[in-house]
Amino acid sequence: MKQYSDLEFLRLSKWQRFCHKLIAFFCAIPRAIANFFKNIGKTVVKFFRKAGAEFKDIGQTFTQGDWRTKTSFLVMGFGNLTHGQILRGIMFLLFEVVFIVYMITTGGYWMSMLPSLGKQGPTTEYDPIYDSYTTVYHDNSFKILLYGVLTIFFIIAFIYTWRTNVKQCKTIDQIIKRGGKLKSDKDDLRSMVDEQFYKTLLALPLTGILVFTVLPIVFMILVAFTNYDGAHNGYANNLFTWVGLDNFNTMLSWQGGAGGTQSYAATFGEILAWTLMWAFLATFTNYFLGMFVAMMINKKGIHLKKVWRTILVMTIAIPQFISLLYVSKMFARNGLINLALLDLGWIKEPLPFWEDATWARVSVVLINIWIGIPHLMLIATGILMNIPADLYESARIDGANAWQQYSKITLPYMLFITGPYLLTSFTGNMNNFNVIYLLTGGAPTNVAASGAAGSVGHTDLLITWLFKITTGAESQYYLASVVGILVFVVVALISLVVYNVLPSIKNEEDFQ
Amino acid sequence: MASVKLTDVKKVYDNNVVAVHDFNLNIKDKEFVVFVGPSGCGKSTTLRMIAGLEEISGGTVEIDGEVVNDLQPKDRGIAMVFQNYALYPHMTVYDNIAFSLRLKKVPEDVIYDKVTKAAEILGITEYLMRKPRALSGGQRQRVAIGRAMVRDSKVFLMDEPLSNLDAKLRNQMRAEIILLRQKLDTTFIYVTHDQTEAMTLADRIVIMKDGYIMQVGTPDEVFDMPDNLFVAEFIGAPKMNIVKTKLVLENGKYYVTPFGAKIPVDGDKGKALADKKVKAGDVLLGVRPEHIELASEADHAIPCKLIVDEMMGSELHLHVDTEDGTRLIVRVPTLDLSKEDRKKLVAGAKLYITFEGKAMHLFDPATEKNLLT
Amino acid sequence: MNNTTEKRHMGLKALNRASNTAIYILLILISVIWLIPFVFIVLQSFRVESTYQVGYVIPHQWGLQNYINLWNSDFKRWYLNTFIIALAAAVLTTVIQLCMSYTLSRFRFKMRGPLMRFMLILGMFPGMLTMIILYRVLSDIGLTQANAVPGLILVSVASSGMGYYVSKGFFDTIPKSLDEAARVDGATRLQVLYKIILPLAKPIVIYTILTAFMGPWGDYVFARYVAMGTSAGYNVAVGMYSWLSADQIANWYTTFCAGGVIVAVPVTILFLCLQKYYVEGVTGGAVKG
Repeated sequence: MKQYSDLEFLRLSKWQRFCHKLIAFFCAIPRAIANFFKNIGKTVVKFFRKAGAEFKDIGQTFTQGDWRTKTSFLVMGFGNLTHGQILRGIMFLLFEVVFIVYMITTGGYWMSMLPSLGKQGPTTEYDPIYDSYTTVYHDNSFKILLYGVLTIFFIIAFIYTWRTNVKQCKTIDQIIKRGGKLKSDKDDLRSMVDEQFYKTLLALPLTGILVFTVLPIVFMILVAFTNYDGAHNGYANNLFTWVGLDNFNTMLSWQGGAGGTQSYAATFGEILAWTLMWAFLATFTNYFLGMFVAMMINKKGIHLKKVWRTILVMTIAIPQFISLLYVSKMFARNGLINLALLDLGWIKEPLPFWEDATWARVSVVLINIWIGIPHLMLIATGILMNIPADLYESARIDGANAWQQYSKITLPYMLFITGPYLLTSFTGNMNNFNVIYLLTGGAPTNVAASGAAGSVGHTDLLITWLFKITTGAESQYYLASVVGILVFVVVALISLVVYNVLPSIKNEEDFQ
Repeated sequence: MASVKLTDVKKVYDNNVVAVHDFNLNIKDKEFVVFVGPSGCGKSTTLRMIAGLEEISGGTVEIDGEVVNDLQPKDRGIAMVFQNYALYPHMTVYDNIAFSLRLKKVPEDVIYDKVTKAAEILGITEYLMRKPRALSGGQRQRVAIGRAMVRDSKVFLMDEPLSNLDAKLRNQMRAEIILLRQKLDTTFIYVTHDQTEAMTLADRIVIMKDGYIMQVGTPDEVFDMPDNLFVAEFIGAPKMNIVKTKLVLENGKYYVTPFGAKIPVDGDKGKALADKKVKAGDVLLGVRPEHIELASEADHAIPCKLIVDEMMGSELHLHVDTEDGTRLIVRVPTLDLSKEDRKKLVAGAKLYITFEGKAMHLFDPATEKNLLT
Repeated sequence: MNNTTEKRHMGLKALNRASNTAIYILLILISVIWLIPFVFIVLQSFRVESTYQVGYVIPHQWGLQNYINLWNSDFKRWYLNTFIIALAAAVLTTVIQLCMSYTLSRFRFKMRGPLMRFMLILGMFPGMLTMIILYRVLSDIGLTQANAVPGLILVSVASSGMGYYVSKGFFDTIPKSLDEAARVDGATRLQVLYKIILPLAKPIVIYTILTAFMGPWGDYVFARYVAMGTSAGYNVAVGMYSWLSADQIANWYTTFCAGGVIVAVPVTILFLCLQKYYVEGVTGGAVKG
């Protein structure tokens, strides 16, 4: 590819510049991919180097440490305790005791069952006392998987704590050698609200996230490799077990279903295409129309600005389920609109707002505009007011008309500032459960896809499909989990690409 | 009232950028030291490491003989004035100044005495009940200084305290800082990018560039004997003229030959060259604008053409081009100029300039070090 | 020449007037479109002659029958449930989110970058995925169905740290030198937080409380999951949704409208009172975050 200097580039025509940039963009892709893998390689190498250094350090600490340090390798916190750091020592010791007790009493069982997810399902046994048959429950695959994952977390935490314990022994040795003063318990407590205050602040939020987001997500990722569903709920009826990549094979196979229904891959593709189209339309219609409304209200010479704004803002306050459900029923076959139009004699047949695929898709996009514009209007107003007025003044002196001012100043400025927002709003719309579910519930039904789990409809997004799969008659959790993982992959890919294109995301600190 | 000692202090950021290289400095008790340098030279970073606002990557900082590396800012016995004042917007001026005392649980009547006394010294008594929002830039600066004053700290740190003020106010505040220093009688460390501030305020100036100390010295030393080209150009306004030329050695005497002229390097400077046995060859010749004189054609003077003349009031800055196109600046006191001479100094006029050997600075073109020191 | 300049001036003015008129017409149109469904809800909530959907808006017969129906239904319980959840979420979510965002805005610790990246990646998983397991865990500890309220509070509050972006964006706009000045003045990090930052962060605190309070009123999916068909554990969204199912709607449609009014009016009034802070939060924090 020809390289141009800046001055040469400026001599090119618009079209040539565009082609040049386009070619440059595509030429850069192989290198970007190569870099990506190179970076992965580097990370792996770095990881092993670091691990090696850790082991070396641990070894050194042991050989160079005194008897207190050496004891600490077995009895955590011993070094701290014998050096007067009672608080730290007790915490270490307590953690070790709890860990050991846990592993012996229950943790060991969960870990041993993890590879099989349970050996014995419920059995029907004769109970001689009551002279009847009762169901006796044995292993519980669900609990095994859940507590197995939890135990792994716990083991990792233990290794980390043990390592910290060793590190502290080393620090103590160093400080004593230097003749420095060790931190007392009082210092430790004081630093909890000072240097270490961030740890105090983060403790609660991160615990919450770990238990209620990380753990469930790890669990559900694992479920994608099992046959966990309504008929194998792991306890009351049948155990579930590992099935490897079977579920991904099902989801991504082009093999049609029974009765000439289309394959899972085709259904997935169809829903994904609509999901992306929906996210695109929902994001950009709202974005541009919201900006347009904001500009109208902000225009010089328009009175009652506050009134217009308040009218729109008010609609944000009304819980979405009320407005969405109400509007959904308003457009229903026997809803207000159709009944009124029939009464007026303007139509003979009710309009198929929710019965026809195209009608339904257009309707959800339009109603979403109604829902989304007020919020976008607020955001746009804030940014518009921040655009320096002298930019417009200088543009007007340069002879720019209203359209040119918009396209050369307002729009680039808005796009730059709202780049990250657009991305989150796009991915948010991909997962916009409420609007779709409350408006259409996914209707109208997609007949061709009736072979797939969950009753797939034409307005279903991946996320509503996922919901339907889990609440459907067969509750194929494993499929829902596969869909969830695929949603993640799509969102991550989009974000990765956008991140590398957008300047305003890359430099977080630039905006501080 | 304390000494500050920095030993091999180093700052390395997470992305492995080194902001400050092994920084060594002994600041005596009650000394006024100014760190000066262009933006990004590491002067603020060094100050913030002394304050404890920036982690120290290597080396030690001692205040009053105690290593303070691991101490929190509040435990280091320092007070600090920030560039953007950093006044707490939700508190009145009184509360702003009293804030640190209240944290120390000082009795309210003692606080009252201290705050009102500081306010009186700074002339802000009538604004005590105002919020910072309602103050002008200069008043805010005074509040910031007042806040630092009441702390009775061992070391007074100031991070570009005047750079947000307009030129006139800056001159006024500069004078007030000198007065304040006399009243407080404590150790000052002051950061600025303005060499005038550095020259006027400092007992000693630390000139920095790219994380390295270029020179430490009194204002006289750095002005008269700059260690290197950077210091020579940085200190003094307008900046020193630098000319590439040759040093020749004839009969044990040194000469420089700028623009075809041959000017002897005599006096102390010639002796210094001889003592150091400097070889003849390429040198960078530096002459301050105020050391160039206008001359008549007759004396072995350098002919040049006047391009721009700037009237500064008490003096005239002449931008002239020599015959080979080198741009020089000449500073002429207006007092010495007759009206007729002044009239001749218009763009395009032909001039002759000259300078004496004692005004010259010579630098090694490769190392940029001063050849005379 | 005078004549032409005058014409040009006149033209500009006329054009401006024409465009302003067009904008007014558009704005009025927009206001009508945006308000009309809510006006309809209110009107239909007072309709007594029929309980199903009809083709006209203004009731033939006005009355409070629908509100009386509400009072006699489980709606009271649902309303109370939602209110309790909203209140608890408002308090706890605000605390958690402020801790998180303040820390990420102000402290520079080794794990900060990785932590933020990790949460970004975590956020790319559809949250719904976790519902299945959370439901089973909650049901194991007895926090589902009739006891859904504490369960819902727990789940909605626990992960709220992930939504730190908006308030972090706001904290980022408070100059860091204020923290530094206070620390030099002798404040601990804790004192910096409650003596300096919190008083300055009033808008974002109110914004966070407001959004956290409003969230549960529209929460549908998980609430439905956790209540699992037990009316005593419903929130308003789940309960009122059930009135609109195909076999219920003919009897409950107008009651739904009345319920909508009862839910929307207090929330809207609260929102309008605190509108200023909401706008500040959205425009200040949301975009930067």
